[in-house]
This record gives sequence, C-alpha cells and structure tokens, in this order.
Amino acid sequence: MKTFVWKIGGEAGFGIMTTGLAFSKIVSRLGYQMFDYIEYPSLIRGGHNAYEVVVSDDRVGSSPGSIDFLVCLNKQTFELHKDQLSDNAFIIYDKDEFIPETKSTLIHVPFKKILFSLKGQQIMKNTIALGASLALLGTDLKIFNELISQQFRRKGEDVIKFNEQFAEKGYAYIIEHYKENIQQVLLPLNSESQLVMTGNEAFSLGAVIADCRMYVAYPMTPSSSVLTTLAAWQKTSRMVVRHAEDEISVINTALGGSFAGVRSAVGTSGGGFALMVESVSYAGIAEIPLVIFISQRPGPATGMPTWTEQGDLLFTVFAGHGEFPKIVLAPGDMEEMVGLTTEAFNLADIYQIPVIIMSDMYLSESHSNIKESFVTDLIKNYQVNRGKTITQTNTTPYLRYSDSSDGISPRLIPGVAGSFYQANSYEHFEDGHTTESAEERIKQVDKRARKIRTYFNNDFKTPMIYGNFNEAEVVFVSWGSNKGVILDVQKKLRSRVKTAYIHFTHVYPLKKEAVIPLLNQDKRYVLIENNAEGQFGKLLQMGLGISFSETILRYDGRAVSQQEIINKVNLK
Amino acid sequence: MSTVQDFTGYQPTWCPGCGDWGIGIAIKSALVQLGLSPSSLFVAFGIGCSGNMNDFLNAYAMHGLHGRSIPNAIGMKLANHKMTVLAVVGDGDCYGEGGNHFLHACRGNHDITVIVHDNRVYGLTTGQSAPTAQKGYKSKSTPLGIIEESVDPLSLALTQGATFVAQAFAGDTIHLGQMIKQAIEHKGFSLVNILQPCLTFNKINTYQYYMKHVYKLDDTHDKTNMLTAVNKARGVYEEKYALGVLYQVEKTAFHEQIVQLDSTTSLKDRDKFTDYNQLLPYFK
Ligand SMILES: Cc1ncc(C[n+]2csc(CCOP(=O)(O)OP(=O)(O)O)c2C)c(N)n1
Ligand code: SF4
Ligand SMILES: [Mg+2]
Repeated sequence: MKTFVWKIGGEAGFGIMTTGLAFSKIVSRLGYQMFDYIEYPSLIRGGHNAYEVVVSDDRVGSSPGSIDFLVCLNKQTFELHKDQLSDNAFIIYDKDEFIPETKSTLIHVPFKKILFSLKGQQIMKNTIALGASLALLGTDLKIFNELISQQFRRKGEDVIKFNEQFAEKGYAYIIEHYKENIQQVLLPLNSESQLVMTGNEAFSLGAVIADCRMYVAYPMTPSSSVLTTLAAWQKTSRMVVRHAEDEISVINTALGGSFAGVRSAVGTSGGGFALMVESVSYAGIAEIPLVIFISQRPGPATGMPTWTEQGDLLFTVFAGHGEFPKIVLAPGDMEEMVGLTTEAFNLADIYQIPVIIMSDMYLSESHSNIKESFVTDLIKNYQVNRGKTITQTNTTPYLRYSDSSDGISPRLIPGVAGSFYQANSYEHFEDGHTTESAEERIKQVDKRARKIRTYFNNDFKTPMIYGNFNEAEVVFVSWGSNKGVILDVQKKLRSRVKTAYIHFTHVYPLKKEAVIPLLNQDKRYVLIENNAEGQFGKLLQMGLGISFSETILRYDGRAVSQQEIINKVNLK
Repeated sequence: MSTVQDFTGYQPTWCPGCGDWGIGIAIKSALVQLGLSPSSLFVAFGIGCSGNMNDFLNAYAMHGLHGRSIPNAIGMKLANHKMTVLAVVGDGDCYGEGGNHFLHACRGNHDITVIVHDNRVYGLTTGQSAPTAQKGYKSKSTPLGIIEESVDPLSLALTQGATFVAQAFAGDTIHLGQMIKQAIEHKGFSLVNILQPCLTFNKINTYQYYMKHVYKLDDTHDKTNMLTAVNKARGVYEEKYALGVLYQVEKTAFHEQIVQLDSTTSLKDRDKFTDYNQLLPYFK
C-alpha cells in the first residue's frame, strides 16, 4: 500500500477549502482513495485554516499523523505543522514571505511575484500552489482545468482562462526549476468511477434516495452544510427545504409535514437538538415518523464549534421527557452514512418513531470517496418501505392508535375523504381522543414500548466485526466515526498483533442477546470513544452490565489518532 | 354538503358561559358555509383551554405542544397545500410561548388561518396572567399587578407582514363566524384575534366589559391602509377594541413561491425524484 499526505495551510478566508477539495477530487478522479480533514477556527477571517488530504491506493479513513507535502501559503502554516513533517517531506513555500528552517526538501515557488505579474488576487495563490503541487506529484493539469471550468462556467471563458494561467504558472515553475524533485506518486490508476463527499453530503444524498421531501433546519456548525447542500439541490430534487426561525420551529414544521404524509427530516448539532427535545417527545407519543440528523461538536453550550467530539450520545439516547421508543444510528463512514440514512427513513415509517442519525464534525466535514456503483446500486435496489402507512381505510371510526401485537398501528395519511383523526400529544384512546383512564394509559404505553421488541426481531443489526474475532488478542470496541482510524490502525498492526474491531452502528436500543456474546469473551477489550466519559461504555454498562478496564478517550476537540491507539496496544 | 354535526366531536369541557363555546360554534358554522369537511381540513391545536377544542372539533388534526401549533400548521400546508389549514391557539400559546413562530409566520405570509382565543389569562393553568393582560392586572402569578405593558397582537401582525388581520368578540358569534370565514377565504397569513371572556379566572375583561368597550369598523374603514389599521389596533391601550377586518391585502403566499411545488399536485402526491444524473456529477 502506498500512502502519502498532502497538506495546505494559510490564512482563513482565502480559499484553502476550495483548493483542498479540488485536490481531493483530482486524486479521486485519478483513481486513488482519499480521506481529507479540515482544521479551522470558529472565525471567518483572520484565523488559520489547514486542509489535509491522505491519498492511498487502498482504503483510508484517517490521518497517519505525518505530512509528506506541506504547502505553506504563510509562515504560520510551517510553524504550526513542522513537527508533523515526515522524514522525506517536501515544503512548498515562497521565499519572499519566509524561509523555513528544516531538513525537509524546500521547493520555492514565487507566489507573490506570479500574483503580481498576472494581477491576481490573494485567493489565486491557492491556484498557483495547487498547480505546483500537481507538478511535484507527477501529474498534469487536465482535471484541475476541468474543475476550474466547472467552477467558473457561468462567468464565461475569459474568467476561466484568467484562472487557468495561475495553475499553469505554478506548474511550469516546478517543471523548470525542480524537475529532479518530481515524485511519480499520482500516476493514474485503473479503478472505477468514484464520488467524493463529506458525511453531511452523504446524509443529504441518502435523504434524497430515501424520498425525503421536506428538510427543515436552522444553521449550526457542523450540520449546516446539509441545509446548504439540500437547498442547493432543491430545484433538481424538488425537496422542500426550509430554514426556519429556530430549532423548535424546525422540528415542529417537519412534524407537520410528516403528519401530512411526506417523509421529513431535520438537522442540527447538540445545542439545536436541545431545543428540539420537547418535540421529540411529541413525536414519541403521537407516533409521527421523523428522521433527525445530529452532527456533534464539543460542548457544553457553545463549546468548540468547529471541532469534533462524540459527547452527545447519552443526551441523544435519553432525549425527551416521558418514556417512548426511539432508534439511534451512528454511521462510521460515507457508505454507512448514505446507507443508514436511507434505512433511517424506512425505520421511522415502519415504527412511527423518531430515528436519529449521529454524526460529528469529523465525519460531517471530512471528505472521502466511495465507488459510484455503490451509490447507483443503492438507488436501484432501495425500496421505500412505509410499513403500516395506509392511504385508505374502511374501519369507521378509524382507530389511529389501535392496539396491536407488534406495537404498530396502521397510520392513515390525512386527506382521505370520510375519515379524520388527530395526532394527540395528550395520552389518548385508540381513536386519538384525549383520555386519562388508567387502563387506556397502560394500553398505549405498552403498545408503544412493544415496537422495540419488534425492532429487535426485524431490524436491529448486530455490530460488524472487522478482523478475525476468534483469533484476536486485542478487540477494539467503538461506534460511529472512529471506524476510519481503527480500520487504519488494524492494518498497521497486522504483522504484530491480531486485532478485531466491533463496530456499532445501531447504538440504541441495544439488543442484549445479540451483543453480550461479543463482549463477554476472554479477550483484551479496548473501548475507544471521542469523549471524556466513555458514554457508549456507560450505555453498555447500564443495559448489558458490561464494563471496560481499558479505554481510549479523547476530548480535546480532535479525532482519536492512529498513534494513540497503537501506543495503547503496545503498552502491554 | 357537510353539516355542523359532521364537525362535532366530543361534548366540550369548557366552563359554562366560557367564550370558547361561542368560538367553537362560529368556527364550525364558518367551515360549513365554506363547504369544507373534516376530511379536507387540517387543524393545529395549541395547549390550553383553547387547544382543548381538539376533542370537540373533527378534522385531520395535530394536538401538539404549547406554543408550537404554527410551525405544525406550516408543515402541514407545505406537505399538502390542497388542504385548508387552521391553527386554534390561546394567547399564552401564540403570543407568549410561541411568539417567535407567530411573528415569522406573519413575515412568511404562510397560507394558514390563526384563530387566537384572547382571554388575557392562562385558563388551563388556572388563571396566571397572559401576554395580553392589561398592565397592572392582578393574577396568581402577578399578585402585585403585571409590570409589562400588554402585547398588541394586531399591530404585531400588521407590522410583521400578515396580509389579513381581524378582531372579533366571542359574544357576537355571527360576526365572529364571518370574520373566520373571510380569514379562511383569504389567501396568505390571516389572524383572527378573538376577545374571549374567561368567566372563571378573568373578572375584569368580562362580557359586560367588552360590550362597553368594543366597536365595529364601518364601511369608511380603509382595509388597505396599514397605518390606519395600526391606529385602530393601538386602541387596545385606551380600551377601545375595534371589531372587523382591520387590514387585508393580496400577496403571494409562501407555498406559491416555492418553485418546486406546483399548483396542481401536492408535495405528498408528486412523483418520486429519479433524475440522479443531475445530482451525481456534483460529487465528481
Ligand atoms: C412547555 C409548556 N409549558 C407550560 C405548559 C403548561 N401550560 C399549559 S396551557 C398553558 C397556558 C394556557 O394559556 P393560553 O395559551 O392563553 O390558553 P387558554 O387556556 O387561556 O385558552 C400553560 C402555561 C405546557 N403545557 N407546556
Ligand atoms: S378556565 Fe376560563 S378559558 Fe378555560 S374553560 Fe373555563 S372559562 Fe373558559
Ligand atoms: Mg389564554
């Protein structure tokens, strides 16, 4: 396996993100697998932005922690990242701005002079730098030029040409001055067509595939790009996308839409979800299907908005006053995000409950690529399953909350002539009218609770196991976005230690009989979570009576690193 | 044709003589006059004595959370704009707990009719003062008299973009019924604020009180003049309550401006999206 890391850094607000994404798309189109990660402060201007892309000819899901090609658009980039440089690293910089002190190979590119000579703006420094990078990595400008054309198509041929010359200049400078340094690491590979997407885009795509017709949100990092992506697509997808006045309006609009018969979803981060919680409880008692997307960031309160954490698991699992069922799913990568999102809409309709997709900044805002055929196959094979949703009824009066052995009652889409009913937030009779009768109360509480048994029987998924569980000496236990780093570590450890990874996606509720046998073996288990309290561990303790003596818990706003897992394994 | 009986659910549990009885009757008669049926109607009920109409009025209804009926109503309208949508709410519900939703719904000109039971108290929680209580009003939660000025809901609606603003009195169900009917017929956001005596908890704003202080707008009132309307609305601070349509203008409703909704098929009934060739290039 060949893997390298390219990283670009500079002042926030000057196009680092666009350039990083262009690089990711270029390597993806050349047939490589990639994973990228952005670091940015909660500022629009003035801070430091960095964009790191891991490129490999095999699957990657995390950063190895070292940098092979560092593009410094300013001095700060070098200062902040010099300790991560690998032994044979290259540094692209402009000596008119600063001179790096390092053992790494220095590749000077006169950004300032080129900008000046072509009368370019600050932001075009990126274009020069990317042109130079592509030359140094041994590929051409073909795909980059296509991306430039795409980006400026509406502005006309002149603007396209104007931008292309910056890439050309950066490229030519390397060919002319650093021919002997060129690395042939981006030779095109013969692989099938791939799609580059973030976790948020994967959710958005999944929502469209699942026939979600209404998405309502209020911007909150790191969930906002779901709103902006779906809004950008709305004319094509014909989804109604509403940016409402606050998160309480968000969820109640979506509940209105769902009650009226369209698949609906909302998206937010922890703080916005906190505002929605009362309404989650309404969805619970009134049995209104809803998909809720939560992208976590470090809390409490405003916390660290642009960094990552898995600190809202227990809050989410227990969100809502009163007792009612809900399902919480946690995808670990882009394929799982698209797939589980489509599944979430089916589960919400089948069980008539809120289904929550847990993401975090790391998964939501990182890009990686997946096979286009994975998506097209899913589109082809996905069946919208609306469970006991009905469009006609001949029972009069129609009993919206009729008692049933699986806990699920036929749900009539409103508008059918001759019928009517209410989705009542008060406890109700089977027909939906309010009641305070002890008997009716027990009937409805039991009915709602029975859905979980049905879910365990029909739809709960036992966690995936990566590696050979029976032979494993070390068993990692984790959930959600840690999947990427753990799979990468497993590969690195392969020659030294036998490991297995138990990856939970269906994190709540947990089917005891299915999970306990995986966790009570005579093995060295290591619980890995991106939070301080080991929240999933607590959930396992509470529901299954299982505890962990070894844990890796990270809560500094950064994702769990390969090195800290390797160090932990090596400890014994 | 539907009848009042079609809309009639359970026997109301309101206190005898409560203004809500009159409102219940007026709503049903307006619905019948408009030729609507329980199956062609969405209602979002709030939580309060007002919202308790959920069990007494037949419709496809959401009896949701305190303060949140307006977003429920908006969601229903967007999903199926063929249906008529009402929000039946209390003054605490709509101007207090859900005040933010109210002002934004006015701005959006969502095609919903908001019917507010303005009794100036929290009836269901036994009489604390509501946002429309008069300054100085003594209640269990404000035994020394409420310090805030009362909300002026009509001006609020007028200045935030509502395209139909009316006021009625629960003691005059014929006029009230007309107001509700016109509000439903209006395309866009309509508000009917109903002065509603709460016999049990509000001993000040009684039927007799309103009989003395209300007046009907006559033909000389210019419904299209916002400033005149605001002037009439501000009468609330001088205990002069205008009844009738204060303001009405034609504007495109929210759902009509959503390009992906067409006038003939609702969001619920349209075909599933399939044109992925339009979407996937985004990821390449
Ligand atoms: C979030 C929330 N807060 C408080 C309550 C308690 N509560 C129920 S009804 C109500 C006030 C009702 O007053 P209003 O909306 O004016 O309706 P009315 O009973 O006067 O018709 C309150 C505070 C609640 N149900 N939910
Ligand atoms: S408490 Fe007041 S508002 Fe409620 S039903 Fe009785 S009279 Fe009507
Ligand atoms: Mg009230």
